[in-house]
Amino acid sequence: MDFLVFIKQVPDTDEVKVDEESGTIIREGVPSILNPFDEYALNLALRLKEGMEDEVNITAMSMGPPQAKDALKKCLAIGADRGILLSDKVFGGADTWATSFTLFKGVEKMGGADLYFSGQEATDGNTAQVGPELASHLNLSSMTYVEDVLDINPKEGYLTAKKETDEGFIKLKSELPVVLSCMTPPDFEPKIPGVKEIMKAKNKPLDTWNHDDLGGTEEEYGLEGSESQVISTYPPPSKGPGEKFEGPAEEGAEKIFALLKDEGVCDD
Amino acid sequence: MADTDLARDDEFELTEEQKLLKESLLDWGERELPLTRVIEMNQEGHPYPEDIIKSLANLGVIMGPVPEEHGGSGLSWEDQAIIADQIGYIDPSIATAAGLMAVETGWGYTLNRYGNETIQEKFVKPAINGDQFVGIATTEPGGGSDVAGFESTAERDGDDWILNGEKTFISGTEEAQKMGGAFWVNVRTGPAPEDAPHKNMTSFCVPVDADGMNFQEPYRDAGRMAISTGGFIMEDVRIPDRFRLGEVDKGFYYTMEGFDNARILIGASSVGVTRRVLEEAADYIKERETFGNPLAKYEGIQFEFSDLYTRMKALRLMYQQVARMQEKRYQEAGKGERKREPKTYSSTDVARWISMIKWKAPHLAKEAADKAMHWLGAAGYADDYVFETAWKGVMSYCVGAEGGANIQKIVIGRETLGPEYVPYK
Ligand SMILES: Cc1cc2nc3c(=O)[nH]c(=O)nc-3n(C[C@H](O)[C@H](O)[C@H](O)COP(=O)(O)OP(=O)(O)OC[C@H]3O[C@@H](n4cnc5c(N)ncnc54)[C@H](O)[C@@H]3O)c2cc1C
Ligand SMILES: Cc1cc2nc3c(=O)[nH]c(=O)nc-3n(C[C@H](O)[C@H](O)[C@H](O)COP(=O)(O)OP(=O)(O)OC[C@H]3O[C@@H](n4cnc5c(N)ncnc54)[C@H](O)[C@@H]3O)c2cc1C
Repeated sequence: MDFLVFIKQVPDTDEVKVDEESGTIIREGVPSILNPFDEYALNLALRLKEGMEDEVNITAMSMGPPQAKDALKKCLAIGADRGILLSDKVFGGADTWATSFTLFKGVEKMGGADLYFSGQEATDGNTAQVGPELASHLNLSSMTYVEDVLDINPKEGYLTAKKETDEGFIKLKSELPVVLSCMTPPDFEPKIPGVKEIMKAKNKPLDTWNHDDLGGTEEEYGLEGSESQVISTYPPPSKGPGEKFEGPAEEGAEKIFALLKDEGVCDD
Repeated sequence: MADTDLARDDEFELTEEQKLLKESLLDWGERELPLTRVIEMNQEGHPYPEDIIKSLANLGVIMGPVPEEHGGSGLSWEDQAIIADQIGYIDPSIATAAGLMAVETGWGYTLNRYGNETIQEKFVKPAINGDQFVGIATTEPGGGSDVAGFESTAERDGDDWILNGEKTFISGTEEAQKMGGAFWVNVRTGPAPEDAPHKNMTSFCVPVDADGMNFQEPYRDAGRMAISTGGFIMEDVRIPDRFRLGEVDKGFYYTMEGFDNARILIGASSVGVTRRVLEEAADYIKERETFGNPLAKYEGIQFEFSDLYTRMKALRLMYQQVARMQEKRYQEAGKGERKREPKTYSSTDVARWISMIKWKAPHLAKEAADKAMHWLGAAGYADDYVFETAWKGVMSYCVGAEGGANIQKIVIGRETLGPEYVPYK
């Protein structure tokens, strides 16, 4: 079986700062990491692989600039068997639609897979669109907020997943292949690759495919292939310091209640 | 981890794999050995927790340069030095960096090179896997610096050897007794010739549980408390000839090579300790205000920081160079076993560089910790910051562990000016 995990390299959000004058994100000197949701998706894929009778090959695929290779190398060290980077100037400036289209073309060239994993969202773009869009391109079902896969049965061609909702969890069944957008559970401890895994990763295949490899016209990709355009980027207005009430909880509650009443948020 | 990052600009020199190694270790450190645990372990004292030994071994960082066919990871010495740096950063008390990684790797790798099948299977491999401990026992009550001046003996008895004597200030005695394993022990196999006392020394692997091995109460050290320092008396310890390392009467040369390897890693670890100390201190001096300004604005403090930081960067480049030199020597000579004479660098070329880093790096770490305590005032004196723990830990490498500072200066002088200028002859 072939598992395909879509991974994105993102700036380490703990370190992101916004240029106060221009309002743009300062990327210089900000270290890049593997999108944490994607790290979970890959760990989930690995865990499933370990429990399967069939031989499973895990490919990690990313669209990004050449340095996104670092994130793919990390995936190889964690345990992916193969890495594919889709990289070309033509792919630049893509919105989520053009991103998912490019990834879809990569999947086509690869010859498809039996199960697809993406993160629930990327910690920089945060749209949570690319996973479901890929499902749409591939004409497959999409399952979002997947915290776990409870059962996978390739012979009968289905899997059951645990999906998080506002109310709790639901159990969902889908036929294979399906695109899972994976949600990191709170107790998740990522696998730390050891020396041997890191050295082994050196010899695993890591290919770069460009526009020529994927085919299609330039207009389908990147900025030109994007339905949406970014007009400006700005940091959210900073919240005021707020008001602090000190003292016993009951007194505090009364004060807050009075305040909310004054503001017309609630009445007696 | 500290908010200040003094390693970011190191990256351009590193390979992809080295970057991943550093990242893995940092993740491991955050999970298994945060500073709070380091300080706690230092206060609780030895023996070193086995779960951490095991998880460190699972990462593959103990004896990384041992070839894969012998159970190691086939790392280069530069890779291992980078690991040492990062482990020193994670554990500035230096118990992990020193007692576990550097001692076992520096000496264990040398055991791997000269040891026979039995030594590989019984002692080297189990230590790589974290199931046993392997340590070094050269120092004797008569002194440590004068490596050739030992009095312990071994006498041949058929297929066996009978060992007698005493070893002192040996790292990991409590851990070894708990986990099992062996010490590399140097003994005399013939009287010391007056003009060449380093001759007639032979090295053996002595299992901790051999009859006649009497371990002493461990010392109450000033620092590095999470790993023990102890001693043992050998009373007619009978061991088979298979436990002999390399050739009879050649022990001195293997020992010097073991020191070289351990010293590279001690140097690199001490750079890591310095980095952690300076980062933690930088976080503090940027925040703490006196007379309306953060401490970091005052030249009295800032200039000291700049000085330490600059010297740390210089030593980082230096350990990288030393490690590359040693790697080249090993590649030319054959890694798993000695096959040829290395061409590019002689052993004395490398020894000189190694002594430079072994001398300077621990002293810099100690100085950084000392300065940091001054910068923090009373807070720096309290043991909930790491400075006092680091200061006491790296001090072990200034006073003697893996060779005292003056001995390093003698090596540098001897290998540069010539053997006729050795001060003690
Ligand atoms: C309106 C709009 C316009 C944009 N315009 C530009 C632009 O002009 N220039 C520009 O550089 N960026 C632009 N972006 C950002 C870029 O489109 C997104 O970063 C990218 O499409 C992924 O979206 P996301 O980060 O929200 O990912 P999400 O949809 O939140 O990611 C979900 C999952 O999809 C997968 N995934 C996402 N991106 C990738 C990828 N690149 N490779 C592999 N897997 C992936 C991962 O598994 C991820 O966890 C724009 C974004 C938006 C919303
Ligand atoms: C924490 C710790 C762990 C240790 N672990 C081990 C271990 O695992 N195995 C082991 O075998 N040993 C170990 N040692 C011992 C270490 O190897 C010795 O401390 C070292 O070799 C110095 O020997 P010494 O302490 O006997 O000092 P001495 O040899 O008595 O020297 C005392 C001082 O004089 C200086 N000195 C000596 N000769 C000269 C000279 N000719 N000119 C100028 N100065 C000189 C030395 O630099 C030193 O500062 C450890 C030591 C410590 C502190």
